[in-house]
Amino acid sequence: MTQNEMTSNDSTEPTPTTETAASSPDPSGDPLIEQSIDVDGTDATAAETGEPVIESRDLNVFYGETQALQSINLAIPEKQVTAMIGPSGCGKSTFLRCINRMNDLIDAARVEGDLYFEGKNVYDADVDPVALRRRIGMVFQHPNPFPKSIYDNVAYGLRIQDQTENIDEKVETALKRAALWDEVKDQLDKSALDLSGGQQQRLCIARAIAVDPDVILMDEPASALDPIATSKIEDLIEELAEEFTVVIVTHNMQQAARISDKTAVFLTGGELVEFDDTDKIFENPESQRVEDYITGKFG
Amino acid sequence: MATRKPETGWHGENSDVNHLRGRAFEATCLALTAFGLVSVMLLLLFVANDAFRPLSADVGWLATYAVTVVVPLAALAVYYYRLDEPAGEVAYVASGLPVVGLLLTGGFAVLFTELLSVLEWFALLISLVAAAGLIVAHGRLRPKAALERLVVVLLAPVVTVFGLPPTRFNWLVTDAAAALGLDFGLYYRVISLREAIMLLPFVPTDWVMLLLTLVLPAAGAAGWFVEQRRESRRDGLAVVGLTTVAAVLGVVAGPLLGIGADVWLLVVTFAVLPLGVYVEGVLRRGEGVRGLAFPVVAVLGVVAGSLITGALGFAGPDPWLDWGFLTSATSRTAADAGIYPSMVGSVMMIIVIVLTAFPVGVGAAIYLEEYAPSQGLMGKFVTLIEINIGNLAGVPSVVYGLLGLALFIRVLQWPQGSIIVAGLAVGLLILPIVIISAQEAIRSVPDSFRQASYGMGATRWQTIRQVVLPEALPGILTGTILALGRAIGETAPLLMIGAAASVRLAPNSFFDVGSMMPRQIFSWSSELEPAFRHGVLAAGVITLLAVLLVMNATAIVIRNRYQRTG
Ligand SMILES: Nc1ncnc2c1ncn2[C@@H]1O[C@H](COP(=O)(O)OP(=O)(O)O)[C@@H](O)[C@H]1O
Ligand SMILES: [Mg+2]
Repeated sequence: MTQNEMTSNDSTEPTPTTETAASSPDPSGDPLIEQSIDVDGTDATAAETGEPVIESRDLNVFYGETQALQSINLAIPEKQVTAMIGPSGCGKSTFLRCINRMNDLIDAARVEGDLYFEGKNVYDADVDPVALRRRIGMVFQHPNPFPKSIYDNVAYGLRIQDQTENIDEKVETALKRAALWDEVKDQLDKSALDLSGGQQQRLCIARAIAVDPDVILMDEPASALDPIATSKIEDLIEELAEEFTVVIVTHNMQQAARISDKTAVFLTGGELVEFDDTDKIFENPESQRVEDYITGKFG
Repeated sequence: MATRKPETGWHGENSDVNHLRGRAFEATCLALTAFGLVSVMLLLLFVANDAFRPLSADVGWLATYAVTVVVPLAALAVYYYRLDEPAGEVAYVASGLPVVGLLLTGGFAVLFTELLSVLEWFALLISLVAAAGLIVAHGRLRPKAALERLVVVLLAPVVTVFGLPPTRFNWLVTDAAAALGLDFGLYYRVISLREAIMLLPFVPTDWVMLLLTLVLPAAGAAGWFVEQRRESRRDGLAVVGLTTVAAVLGVVAGPLLGIGADVWLLVVTFAVLPLGVYVEGVLRRGEGVRGLAFPVVAVLGVVAGSLITGALGFAGPDPWLDWGFLTSATSRTAADAGIYPSMVGSVMMIIVIVLTAFPVGVGAAIYLEEYAPSQGLMGKFVTLIEINIGNLAGVPSVVYGLLGLALFIRVLQWPQGSIIVAGLAVGLLILPIVIISAQEAIRSVPDSFRQASYGMGATRWQTIRQVVLPEALPGILTGTILALGRAIGETAPLLMIGAAASVRLAPNSFFDVGSMMPRQIFSWSSELEPAFRHGVLAAGVITLLAVLLVMNATAIVIRNRYQRTG
């Protein structure tokens, strides 16, 4: 516990929650407002940022006995790119999986605390994780298209969600938005496994956006790709942020600096050390440890 | 210990490395392998020699066939092996396909003569299609009604295949019909679509029904396949058209050549069509086309051989395993003895096993892999169960026979030695093997596919149905077919449940007493007359082995085919 208190002392973590108070006059998200009252706010610094769609409060995650996340408080703004950086094993993926409850699939994982999506605690008993995941898409570290045709991959989500009208159109739109259409439009029947790694990852993005979710979670989506494919994905992410809330985990600091609006820095032990505008994190972080990490003194 | 000797170098004679033990080990392994292979080969040669008795032929006969068949084929084989490997593979498949196809033809011919009439088959198939149609239509009309759908999925086949049991409602219907002067023979229950078709006053002739239910679906599938491959709708339609023409022509012309219409249609479906599609693919790819020469040379060689031996009056061998052996029942004289009824018994037993052990085993495997908890107390319990399934796979087959005897015959009072009891007892025997191999197949589906599916908001059922099972199916099928191979050769459980030592008539119901190939072979082994113990027995063993070989080959083909595409 003492560690948690220390964490909140030297981080700017309250900032995003105060934004809520500043920019959400409508009471759609009760818990968010509660939170904003709980925390003594400083002045709203980033009024131009969107409302938080996702907000964690005192989120702790355990794998068996070991704690992977320590009391995380974080509010992710709408229609922006939020990056999570930190050394490997610090719990970035774990946090991401908390958002769409993919941790439910890991038997050993146990989540304590609250995580709000559009004002609803996703860990409430009446939340069906399947319904949650239909609103929050996910792209994984290693491209994982199904061993089906390109078309069937993109149509998969539409079919399982019974959105079977105009399926051809939706597939085409998704592939276009994922900047893959021109490369595959003549071979939609081909197996997705015959595509290159970068194409496969863009296919996975197309698959995720085909069902028109609100949020897209990306867990190191470019870490298994070559630089050219990576830059394509990065361009794509920036475009996606116009329509979706994007949360991206990366261990590549330049990438975070390039594409994200907000950055959360996790450090070893599963603590969130600092969360702020990306520019601020990279130019003038509050915490010495963050500065050390960013300048490469440790990692 | 290891003091270095500076005066010696590190290479050549002075090298420290000792390979002796490794070499000795390698040589031992090689010797053991060779010993095992050679003994098995010798055994097979011995049995095959007994079954076919090649030496009972005239020397001239053997020489003729050596020249017309063996030498050209051997030359071709050498050529493929040395110079044209793709052609070798083509030769292998192009010769194997018709053989397997003809065996399947035989299987279906037996099915139609012994087990169900063409009309019954037709009615059953139409009813199943109708049930599937009902389910699909319901899905289209009311895509959201999940519970209703479950009811429809369960009830539709029942209604179309079995009919509804007697209820008060049926009384009303039947009485009303009777009042109108109609008697459907409803027995106061609602008959199924299947029964209704069988009651039709006029039904198409057998060959028309076979054409509709076997040839056309197979032609359609082949046409679709060709259409995909050549990306030409016309070519696909051409396949369907050609197949239909070939089928109908054969039906018309067949009687002149002494081929029954039904048999011809089966041959078209199982041998001609697959071979045609395969040959077309080879020709189109243009790779290994020379391999197609192999079966052609084989057929020409046999024809030439038979012409020459006929002209020169050379007598052929007098094998135990011949057409008569395959088509007649066992007899008191060795020369007349055949394996037909027990072959039918084996096939029917396999049907029982497939219908029981396969769904139960695959269902259990799916549950254990995808649903069962892996953590906590329940997780430990599940592990315990899995270990015990592993143990059950090693339980001697006699024990399963005993179980079958106690359970099905003593408790359920089913007829001793009946096909159904045999099938269930042997089905229990292979159940653990089916479960374990299906579990392995399911486990080999990468977790990333499941993650992707769940991440898209799929339910567990959707994930299993759309992602896991399609991926695991080839593995499940391979494992199951291999297990069936084991089942078809099991003898001990058959002895325990009292399967008939030999039967004269093939069983034609699952509750009939039957004999199965291994049981029949076993009873030949204790005949007094030596001709039984050597000749007939060997012929039976070779037949059993041939069936096994076909099953294993099918399993391997399925595995390779999906490994390549997957
Ligand atoms: N499935 C799991 N079971 C047990 N421990 C896990 C599991 N996944 C992650 N962990 C542990 O949780 C910690 C955080 O992991 P993760 O979230 O994957 O980190 P990151 O993505 O930042 O590299 C690590 O110490 C890791 O060992
Ligand atoms: Mg990670």
